[in-house]
Amino acid sequence: MIEANFTRKFALVVLLLSMWPATAALAGARHFTFLYEAPTSAPGGVELENTITWARAIDGATRLDQIVFREELEIGITDHFQLGLYPLDWSYHNANNTDDNGFSYDGGAVELIYNLTNPVIDLAGISVYQEISGGRQHFESESKLIVQKNFGPLILDYNLTFEADWEDQGLQDRHGELQQALGVSYELSPRISVGIEFLHEFVFPYWRDEEKIRNVFVGPNVAFRRRNWFVTVTALAQATNTPDEADFKVRTIFGFGF
Amino acid sequence: MLFVVVACLLSCQLATYVPPVTPQTVVATSGRHVDVTTLREGRRLLVHRCIECHTLPPLWHYSIEDWPEIVNSMSHRASLKPAERHAIVAYILAVRSMQK
Repeated sequence: MIEANFTRKFALVVLLLSMWPATAALAGARHFTFLYEAPTSAPGGVELENTITWARAIDGATRLDQIVFREELEIGITDHFQLGLYPLDWSYHNANNTDDNGFSYDGGAVELIYNLTNPVIDLAGISVYQEISGGRQHFESESKLIVQKNFGPLILDYNLTFEADWEDQGLQDRHGELQQALGVSYELSPRISVGIEFLHEFVFPYWRDEEKIRNVFVGPNVAFRRRNWFVTVTALAQATNTPDEADFKVRTIFGFGF
Repeated sequence: MLFVVVACLLSCQLATYVPPVTPQTVVATSGRHVDVTTLREGRRLLVHRCIECHTLPPLWHYSIEDWPEIVNSMSHRASLKPAERHAIVAYILAVRSMQK
């Protein structure tokens, strides 16, 4: 009885998965990796996005490498509404002054994006974004205002992000961050674009600003898209001199539609 | 300097101008039997769906003969149904006919 039930459910899953490629399409290619863009995915568009971020911090003789992996299933719900599911957020840490190196599972997240105006025909394309992520002794809320304007082959993009996170036992450690990001991308052809990304972070440990932590990152990006896949890479260097913060970060997003 | 930047941005903007549907746009479809609702839907879809992957090229950049195949080749990626594909092509061809 149990076996027959399992077989029926398995057959249903296989049937649904076999129908998926016939109905789904690419949800949209990315021109930036540290910024979100205002357009949302077409209804029915489904895409798997893999984000890998490598960050290295060097402080005297201490070196810390961190590689963060995020797998996102991006789904277009309506013409203006998009859902993103992150079931697998995991990371790898390696430091030269400790033996506590290795992989860790960091949790998962859900993201919602609603598009209000269009970057081509309106004065500016505006979208609002909300992400909720959670894991073991970790909960985070991330809200964004996305503003984008397309000038022919040129894309100007601005993100204002507010982050609040709760960590450690009993989620007692509370931190906040405000970030603004500016991106410019120029399409050399429908397949290739190049640009620059700029991040400006205001970090509030324990919701205090006594340390006046301000980080600035800047660097180039390149994006390539073809048929139902794309890849975008950004390399950022820290322009400030904040200890314990990454000196550089490289982020790659590889996405493909089913 | 600011003037140069603004001038460049405006020239880029004009290059991909996606004009609203007017009575002249409908007249430009003569012989193709396209109504104003279809043309408006075509414009709406063009500026929403196509920019998910790339910026919009100037509509005059490709010929009237090329456009249906260009839209068709990307319709699956943009999740376009046949009627939506038809609406986009109808709008582009109407604008291109006006630009002749």
